[in-house]
Parts: sequence; C-alpha cells; structure tokens
Amino acid sequence: MSVNAMASESSDVLVEIRDLVIGIQRTRKDRLLIVESANFDIRRAEILGLVGESGSGKTMVCRSLIGTLKRRSASIFAGTIKFDGMDLAKLEERQWRSVRGSRIGYVPQSALTGANPVMTVGKQLGEAIRRNRKRKEKDVRRRVMELLELVHIRRPEVVYDQYPHQLSGGMRQRVMIAAAITQDPDIVVADEPTTGLDVTVQAEIMKLLKEIRSELKMSVILVSHDLALIDEVCDRLVVMHAGTCVEVGSVSAVARTPLHPYTIALNRSRIDISTPGAPLITIKGNPPAVGEWPAGCRFSDRCDFVQQDCTVGRNPVLVEVRPNHWSACLHAERLGGTSE
Amino acid sequence: MSDALIEVRDVSVTFGSGSRAVRAVRQVSLHIEKGEAVGIVGESGSGKSTLARVLAGLQRPNSGEVRFAGESIYQRGKAYRGENRRLVQMVFQDPYGSLNPRITALSAVSEAVRVHGVGSRKDAIAKSLELLGRMGISERDAGKKPRQLSGGQRQRVSVARALSAQPSVLLADEPTSAIDQSAQAQLLNLFRGLLDGGLSIALVSHDLGVIRYLTQRVYVMKDGEFVESGLTVEVFDNPQQEYTKQLIASIPGRELHKALS
Ligand SMILES: Nc1ncnc2c1ncn2[C@@H]1O[C@H](COP(=O)(O)OP(=O)(O)OP(=O)(O)O)[C@@H](O)[C@H]1O
Ligand SMILES: Nc1ncnc2c1ncn2[C@@H]1O[C@H](COP(=O)(O)OP(=O)(O)OP(=O)(O)O)[C@@H](O)[C@H]1O
Ligand SMILES: [Mg+2]
Ligand SMILES: [Mg+2]
Repeated sequence: MSVNAMASESSDVLVEIRDLVIGIQRTRKDRLLIVESANFDIRRAEILGLVGESGSGKTMVCRSLIGTLKRRSASIFAGTIKFDGMDLAKLEERQWRSVRGSRIGYVPQSALTGANPVMTVGKQLGEAIRRNRKRKEKDVRRRVMELLELVHIRRPEVVYDQYPHQLSGGMRQRVMIAAAITQDPDIVVADEPTTGLDVTVQAEIMKLLKEIRSELKMSVILVSHDLALIDEVCDRLVVMHAGTCVEVGSVSAVARTPLHPYTIALNRSRIDISTPGAPLITIKGNPPAVGEWPAGCRFSDRCDFVQQDCTVGRNPVLVEVRPNHWSACLHAERLGGTSE
Repeated sequence: MSDALIEVRDVSVTFGSGSRAVRAVRQVSLHIEKGEAVGIVGESGSGKSTLARVLAGLQRPNSGEVRFAGESIYQRGKAYRGENRRLVQMVFQDPYGSLNPRITALSAVSEAVRVHGVGSRKDAIAKSLELLGRMGISERDAGKKPRQLSGGQRQRVSVARALSAQPSVLLADEPTSAIDQSAQAQLLNLFRGLLDGGLSIALVSHDLGVIRYLTQRVYVMKDGEFVESGLTVEVFDNPQQEYTKQLIASIPGRELHKALS
C-alpha cells in the first residue's frame, strides 16, 4: 500500500500533506531541494509529534503550513497541502492573511526572532487579538492578561509593559505560545516550544497543549528533540531524516517497534542516567548536508542494517508496513521489533 | 575555596528600579575548580542566564565579587583584560541572536581562532573545519550564514566558536536544547573529553538528564537564589528542598526510565 492510501479513514483528517517538495531557487536553473517528500496527515484534535535529525527539514515543513517559507528564501516546488478545501501549497500571500494566525497558529523555533523587539508584550498580543475582530480597548487588555495567566506568566501586569529582551528565555517562549492561540486557530504549529524551558514549566505547557487539544479541539504539531516528552504527550509521530519522512505511526508503535533504522539509532543515543559519564552512543558519521545526499536511501551510509539494494536508485518512499504504521526502509519488514 | 578557577561571592543583580525592580540574582556564591563541570538548574526566570553572564563578565553585578584565577575580573572598570578574555568563553542561550548574520559559520569560527592568535589563515580554516566537523557540521553547511542554518546547526556553530578560542572556562547556557539526541550525545562526549583535558564548565540546562550525565556538582536556583547545592548524584537521589523534588518529579519519561531499569 502506498502513501496515497494514507487517507483511508479520512473523516478525521484535517490536513493532508502529499509529496511535498520544498527548496531554494538559487538561479534560474539551479534548485536546491531541502525537503523532498513530506507525506503525512494531521488529524482533528490530535497532538502530532515531529522529530528527526537537526537540519532534516522540520522547520521548513512547519513554515510551509503558515506560508512563511519566503522569509528563509525557500518555496514549495511540488506537492499539496489540503486544508479545509484549500491547497495551502498554492495559496497567494493575500489569501494567507485569512489563514495564518487565525486558522493556523505558530510558535516559532526562536522566540527572540519571533517577537517584535520594539513592541511591548502587551501591545504585541493586543494587536494579534484585534487583527480579526474589533474590540474595546479594555476587553483587549483583559484578554491579554488572561492569556498571560493561561501560560503561567508571573506578575503579568509587569510583563505587559516589558519588551522581549527584558524577559528570560522561558518567559519569551510562553509569550509566543500565548500569541499563537489568541485567535482560536484550528491548528497550532509549535516548533520546539519548550526548548530551553525548565521541566516544571515544560510539564505545565504540555498540559496546556493537551488542554488546547481536548477542550478547544485544536490540533497541535509539536516539533521536539525530547523523545521522552513526545512519548508522553503525542498521539502520533512523524520521523524526518535528510529531507524525507522516514517513519509515521502511533507514538507507541514507533517507540516500541520502530520500523526504520534511523529511528532505532536515534533511540539508542538516549542518555542512560544510571551510568553518568559513560560514553554515549551516537549515530556514526555526520548528517549529510542538503544536496549531498547519497544515492538510494539517504541513511544507507550510516545504517547498521544496510543491504546492497539500499545504496542504489531513488530514495525509498513511505510504505504502510503494518496497519497505520509507515516506514521508508526497504527492509522494514525485517526490522520489526528491534526496539530495546 | 581560594583555589577555585572561577568564582562569584555574594553577587547580586537588579534590573530596573522602584516597584518594577527585578532582583534577578540575590547574594549568590558559586565556585568552579579546574576540570570540573557544575550544573545550574532552576525554573524559568530564576536568574540562571544572568548569573552566567556575570561569570562571563558581560553583566556587572550591583554588588559582590567575581574572581578568575584568584583575582577580581574587574580592573580599571573593564572585565577580563588581555589573555583572560580568551580563557573565559560563553555559549549563549539564543544562538540566533549571538551569531553575526552577515558572516558564514566557518568565518565566525575561524575569526575566533585567529583573534586568539593561532597560526596562519589557512591553519585557522583547517582547524575550524575540524572543530565544526566534530560537532556534526559538514564543510558545506560551514559555508552557510546563520539564516541558512537550522536551529540546531546554529547552536552547534556557537559552541564551536566558543571552543575554538581554547578556553579554560566554558559557560554554556542551554547548549544542547535545540539539537537531536544523537548530536547531543556527540557534544556531550566532546565535553567529556575536554573536561578530562582540564576545561572547566558551567552548564545551564533545563535537561536534568544532561546535568546528571555531565556535572559533578549542581546548584538549584529559584527566584535569584540557590535553594540547594551539592554533589549532583546526591541532590538528584536525595533532594532536600520541596522545589528540587518538584523539579525532579517533572522530568518527562521518568516513569518510563523507572519501568525500564
Ligand atoms: N537559505 C538556505 N540556504 C541553504 N540551505 C538552507 C537554507 N535554509 C535552510 N537550509 C538548510 O535546510 C535544512 C533544513 O532546515 P530546517 O531549519 O528545516 O531544519 P530542522 O529540521 O528544523 O533542524 P533543527 O532541528 O536543527 O531546527 C538545513 O540543513 C539547513 O542547513
Ligand atoms: N536586561 C534585562 N532587563 C530587565 N529585566 C531582565 C533583563 N534580563 C533579565 N531580566 C529579568 O531577570 C530575571 C532572570 O532572568 P534570566 O534570563 O537570568 O532567567 P533564566 O533563569 O535564565 O530563565 P530561563 O530558564 O527562562 O532562560 C527575569 O525575571 C527577567 O525578566
Ligand atoms: Mg528547526
Ligand atoms: Mg536563561
């Protein structure tokens, strides 16, 4: 069964991403491909985890969902992103204005770059609230305070008048989360929203995302490098490596019976806190740079299970190896159950 | 602890004044020996980054003393003069804000190598590429500017830049927060090797697994103060303060770890 069969139980599918290709047009003839085949669904009211190697294209995929690839000089070359009768891959900037923020909220990876440095927190959030509906000044202020409290900002009345650089890293992140949900979107795309937050706040924010999911019925895409965290809060998981989705499935299936060697290798590099100081296992070699991918499977030259047919031909695509569990490994069948 | 390589005594930092004053760091003392790694943990806004900046000489405390190799770092109003400027390096929490947007990763690192006077331009480039490579940044990615790099790539570039000066103290503010688990393992293995070679590290991290793995001692910070400190193993296995207990209880996957071990 191929990726096209993914949407079999499509009633609860909110966004359908198919064969998405993202890259940079460097000259008229020269294209640099960054993401080559992103294929996955976002279901209604689910928390979907997006994990993978640093530089594998997670942020690019997130940006394609809110139409801000251009700010990274990138664009969509092929593929579709179906959402509520629209194809986001083909949306004009003018049309994006009624989707970005109001239908799809975004928490950027770097809170410092996401925030406007010369505007106070209160002003920024207030403006986001007013963007869609006219509201009384007093109501806007009350709503901003509510949001700041919702994301557990202490002394919100002080923070209201502060500029982003006056906040600690974690406070800035929380302000960005507040900004993403101001307009009650259908989906919140959160690119490493708790990176650099202490674990208690992180736990609170995860609780918050779960509430957003179950009470406000929003879907959440959560990019994170923290596999334990993903395990705790996500329903399903997409694993990316070198510009491709290499594995998609329920969190428990991917964690317990991974069907791609990259996922297996990633799990092995986990810190074992019972033996502090012992050398950690890493994936051998370095991640290939964009455009320097090997022939065949892009993980083949670092893979422990590599076979002859892995190093030739095209990059393998996702196949449904088990019900609702896809892998792009040609030998996925044989890996089944190699978890530790 | 007079033989500490770097230390702060009774340091306080206050931002703003009047009713809006934020007492970010309050009467804090800390020391790091040669070859030692200490961890600084605590909730968001508790003053960890501010304290790291104090150690780096980038934030002058309102009161208290900062000493490096037995001497106050402030002389004639300036922090870390001469050679000492190279010996204490910092990795910032936000790698985007701390990298020059106009120059490539390779230039940023090789510039640092050259400023600190290591050989010819060619040698500096070779050395920088080697360092970036050990950090998992390929030659091709080394030729990119910050805007063209992913979050985790930027973070590793800023670590490489700090290490290229061959410091004796590294102040690392969340250096592994944005990278994948395998890259994190790679970086921690590198840190471990450097510690064996005599580097001292102050590691600010929200990831208690990383703190537990790398550091010998840990300071737990809350509202600008240390509420608990001691050997990392002891603090983790037998926390005394309510706050520390909470902190440890909220490590994700702890249940999973327990179940597996
Ligand atoms: N303007 C550009 N020119 C060339 N390469 C680029 C450009 N922008 C991004 N890239 C490359 O595209 C790849 C994907 O970047 P992206 O930010 O999506 O990675 P990521 O998966 O989010 O990584 P991280 O986990 O580190 O945030 C990276 O390898 C990056 O170096
Ligand atoms: N330049 C500044 N002006 C005003 N207040 C500041 C400034 N820098 C930091 N603060 C305040 O000092 C306090 C401590 O901030 P700091 O960045 O040291 O916290 P942190 O422990 O590093 O937090 P995080 O884990 O979120 O990074 C916060 O309340 C912050 O708002
Ligand atoms: Mg990213
Ligand atoms: Mg900080």
